[in-house]
Amino acid sequence: MKRIFVSAISAFAINVAAIGAMCAAFTISSYAADTSVQVQMDMSKATPRSMEPLTERAVLRDYRFAWASMAQALESNSIDSLQGPFEGDAMRWLKETVLSQQQSGISQRYRDQSHRVEAVFYSPEGDVLELHDTVQYQLQISDGGKVIHDDPVTLHYVVLLTPGADRWVIRQLQAVQQF
Amino acid sequence: MRRCFLILAALCSIALLLALCSAQELRVPETSTAGDDATVSSTGSGKGTLYLVGPGISHKSDVDLGEDIHIPGKDLHNAGAYLVIVCSSSCESGTLYVTPAKPYSLAFIVHPSRVPVGRNNSISGVAFPFDQYRNLIRAPATVNFELNAGKESLLSQSDRTQQGAAWFRASSGRSAGTVQVNASVDDISAKRAVQQVASDPCNLRITGGRTKNGIEVQTEPVHDCAGNPVPDGTIVTFTGEGPQGKVTVDAPIKQGIARAQMEAKGEETISVASGVVMGNELRIGAQP
Amino acid sequence: MKRILPIVLVVATAVLMGIALARPGSARGIVGVEAGTPMAGLTPKASSPEQAINNLLGNVQGRHWDLAFEGVSKTSGIDEAAFIQDWKGSDGSLRAFSALEGFEPRPLHITNDAAEMRVHLHWATPVGPMQDVRDIHLVREGDVWRAVWPKVQIPNVPAQVIPVTYLRWDLVSGSSEDHWGSRNVDAPNVRIISMNAVDTAEGAVVMGEVVNEDTIPAFVTVNATLVDAAGNSIDEESSFDKIDHVLLPKQVTPYRVDFPNISLKNVKNVRMDEKASLVPASADPVIGVMNQKLDSDAQGKAVLHGDLFNQSGETVNIPHVIAAFYDGNGKIVWVADGYVDQALLPQSSEPFAVEIPKSMTAKIQNFHVVVNQYSLGRS
Repeated sequence: MKRIFVSAISAFAINVAAIGAMCAAFTISSYAADTSVQVQMDMSKATPRSMEPLTERAVLRDYRFAWASMAQALESNSIDSLQGPFEGDAMRWLKETVLSQQQSGISQRYRDQSHRVEAVFYSPEGDVLELHDTVQYQLQISDGGKVIHDDPVTLHYVVLLTPGADRWVIRQLQAVQQF
Repeated sequence: MRRCFLILAALCSIALLLALCSAQELRVPETSTAGDDATVSSTGSGKGTLYLVGPGISHKSDVDLGEDIHIPGKDLHNAGAYLVIVCSSSCESGTLYVTPAKPYSLAFIVHPSRVPVGRNNSISGVAFPFDQYRNLIRAPATVNFELNAGKESLLSQSDRTQQGAAWFRASSGRSAGTVQVNASVDDISAKRAVQQVASDPCNLRITGGRTKNGIEVQTEPVHDCAGNPVPDGTIVTFTGEGPQGKVTVDAPIKQGIARAQMEAKGEETISVASGVVMGNELRIGAQP
Repeated sequence: MKRILPIVLVVATAVLMGIALARPGSARGIVGVEAGTPMAGLTPKASSPEQAINNLLGNVQGRHWDLAFEGVSKTSGIDEAAFIQDWKGSDGSLRAFSALEGFEPRPLHITNDAAEMRVHLHWATPVGPMQDVRDIHLVREGDVWRAVWPKVQIPNVPAQVIPVTYLRWDLVSGSSEDHWGSRNVDAPNVRIISMNAVDTAEGAVVMGEVVNEDTIPAFVTVNATLVDAAGNSIDEESSFDKIDHVLLPKQVTPYRVDFPNISLKNVKNVRMDEKASLVPASADPVIGVMNQKLDSDAQGKAVLHGDLFNQSGETVNIPHVIAAFYDGNGKIVWVADGYVDQALLPQSSEPFAVEIPKSMTAKIQNFHVVVNQYSLGRS
């Protein structure tokens, strides 16, 4: 009886430890996915409207989250993480990219993103923000698990953001050769 | 020993020759216009796989190395950077930048949708030109802005877009009504409407008297200081103070006038307010 | 021995399960008691005023209406239907959705044949717990005490047709295609016109008034964040129901945001955030607030009481009163609210009372009451 009791306790402890390890792994991986996106923002040149510090913090937070969500969507080939941070044409082409990847078996992985962002236009009513983003990351493209491309990338993005219900959302995300 | 060495050398040479024959080079054009076809040239021989990864597309197809690879315009309609990869024994890649086509539409955002009359710099708008594929056009373009409140022109100006945006500010007119706001680039235009509404009530005045049910009070037709009637539904608060206590009625304006009925037998002093604007006071004697 | 015990347990379980499955079920006798039927020998005789009250309210609590009405004297001017309606509520009122959770009777005055009992009633309602106080007169009839229940005044409104000519605003969402900027309707423009933060025994309170400066109705919520000297947020709370959420054009409402168990001594700044969104609304019903007076109630508590008069043709199911109190300088010093648990019938009135903390009464020089209302089946 004592042995059964001890065995039951051991089994319970092992299960609890396993669940705890899974939760920790999930938490760590989520945190890691977020901290791999570094963003430096300069809003001093925003014109014609100047940006309030609170707004600047919100934009930084939401922009970082949007890029982390985009990376997750392209890596996992799922559009779920795109709901919320993206709208309009940016949402459209990201969705099309993910659906296209699902069909072709391709996936993309963005690692170690580093963004240098500058505000170049902030509308008089504060409802449109245009950013110039020079982003560097390691782009890995796989086809059915086989890596076909793994190179560092530097791109220049013109980004239009608008305020949503509870966050800034990316409406337009367009890469250009130069600003 | 010598024979083995010769055989080994021959094998290496053959391998090298084969490698040289199948090695490919990829030439990707630097830019293309959205919706236009593009051609990628490759060297080498044999079969390969073309990967096209870009905004809105992530596509693969089989290609013949050494021949021009044709990429249709429908795959290149989103402006941005496209990575072209060709793989056979190894992978080569290049980047193609797709630039927007000519202006086709305007995104025109105007604020606010309702504005009190006679307010300085209260209306603003931003216009962004887009091509037919919804790509933002950053090349400078001249945007004409016009604001008309009936026969009154509130604004007429032209601006060159900077970083793809052009904007304006204007003051609201003197009369309540609809303001037509128009932005145009060449023959492309976008129209918006802004409602000019009456400002805060001005000279709020009440009249009233005793009836068999108590006291009935009503406002004179409620206008703002420019003479525009305050919209129906606007709340007017009537407050009566008398020996039985205080009486308050929040009554909406109907056909320009707000009315309230108060149960009060004693002498009442009645005041009126709408929002933060106060009106006159009225003294009504006790019920005989 | 180690193995015998588990085997015995398993076998016994199997045997018992088999017996239970094999025998047909047979419930004999009464399972439960039909509501309203007497349970002989369980309810003590109402031989004292306290017992009579306990019996009556116990039956009300258990919704044994026949038994409860047996505790009402025949000399009362009320019939059973009216008595039941007085307790159960009607017309979708707050009372109709509430349950009597508990009561505490206290004698005020007892003689051989008559007694006055003061009862504190605790109601569980959809808007939270509510307290009520009633004074009940009892008389001795033979060897039992019974309550003399006052006749309930039901408004006698004549049948009539009342046209609804007040403005109504509807919200139309536009077409499904999203052209950026083409479907733009701005959120209503609201503004906080006053704010005052005070410490109370329960915690910090931030209160003030907000006005709808726009020409369309607004659904308004007010949030407040307490910030310390380092700029860190201490707590963030919302006004919840201590605000009239639907504001018609130029309408002003008080608001109150409570921060339980937080003192203002560490607070350097209060950040206010008012949110307004488009909402369909109607300018009807118009509710007048009559006979407003500051007074003391039967328990000596400071209250603002008055009557709500429904000037429209529509029943207001749950009226909600929010009162702002000002000092001599016009500064808002307190905001109190209270629900009326009876429905407000068309062209009729109902009394209301909101309690004011004793510590505030000396400061109060003026007040303003707004009436929020919930009507079933209306947006």
